[in-house]
Amino acid sequence: MTSVHTDHHDHDHDHAAIEQVDRPGYYEVMETAIRELLIAKGLISAGDIRHQIEVLDSRSPALGAAVVARAWTDPDFKRRLLADGRKGCEELGISFYDDTQLIVLENTSEVHNLIVCTLCSCYPRPVLGLPPDWYKLKPYRARAVSEPRKVLAEFGTHLPDDVEIRVSDSTAAVRYLVLPLRPEGTDDWSPDELAAIVTRDAMIGVIPVTIGGEAA
Amino acid sequence: MATQDFVSRLPNDIGGFEAGSVARVEHVLEPWEKRCHALADVLDFKKIINTEEKRKGVEALGETLIGKLPYYERWIVAFANILFTKELLSPTELAEKMAEVEARFPVESGQGG
Repeated sequence: MTSVHTDHHDHDHDHAAIEQVDRPGYYEVMETAIRELLIAKGLISAGDIRHQIEVLDSRSPALGAAVVARAWTDPDFKRRLLADGRKGCEELGISFYDDTQLIVLENTSEVHNLIVCTLCSCYPRPVLGLPPDWYKLKPYRARAVSEPRKVLAEFGTHLPDDVEIRVSDSTAAVRYLVLPLRPEGTDDWSPDELAAIVTRDAMIGVIPVTIGGEAA
Repeated sequence: MATQDFVSRLPNDIGGFEAGSVARVEHVLEPWEKRCHALADVLDFKKIINTEEKRKGVEALGETLIGKLPYYERWIVAFANILFTKELLSPTELAEKMAEVEARFPVESGQGG
């Protein structure tokens, strides 16, 4: 996406028009002022912020997709990943820049997992990057835990009634990642080919992985 | 909703409440939003404001403001309040710095957000 303002206007505040990008809004001014004051006081440095922006930019669902593809093709790795999600990811060179644990939840033909953060927006950022807006907004947070089948249906996902849906509510310290079901007909696929069909939304658990699905 | 729900639940605690359908909205972060996110992470690493303090700081804004402010706007206002409480910044300092930042931009280019 190249446009700054596109489709996230679900909130009811007024905006400066897009052509006024050179004049910062009130909250952007506040961000700049707080950052500069903290730097002047020596509490943080400009380099800290620059470095963390680079870290954020280095994270995307492609990392999670590589973890999933490896788990699908390497049973020993999958065992280790399910035992300790963070260590499993670190084994693949994915560093955890925050102090969070990761629990990987395996989907099977009997159990489908869905992740949410009802309180706010906790999310497995080291392996998926930043969450989409809908993950942070009230409808998903409020309803995922009480009517997950209806929520899944809104994503076009219809599970048989005999599939149990487990919803995991993230916290500041513990984050979750869904290990989706590997689609049938992919037995001879390489890990790279498999990773290419694993999407962010499948690792949140709102859709399955399908052949012909978009890249993560 | 029964008043007891408000007694037992703080504004962020909305799991299980009724709400509308999920609109699959998303946007690429604006530069200041990304800086705000990086600031949050750095404040956490430096043990100045941790994730839980941030969440509680947002909650302390109250339901009305939480409902009106977008995500990173809530964060930056919460950071200001927490930094005041910790006496790492004063409201006067912040107001003066914000005026200084504002003054870097010519007024005629728009009325701001």
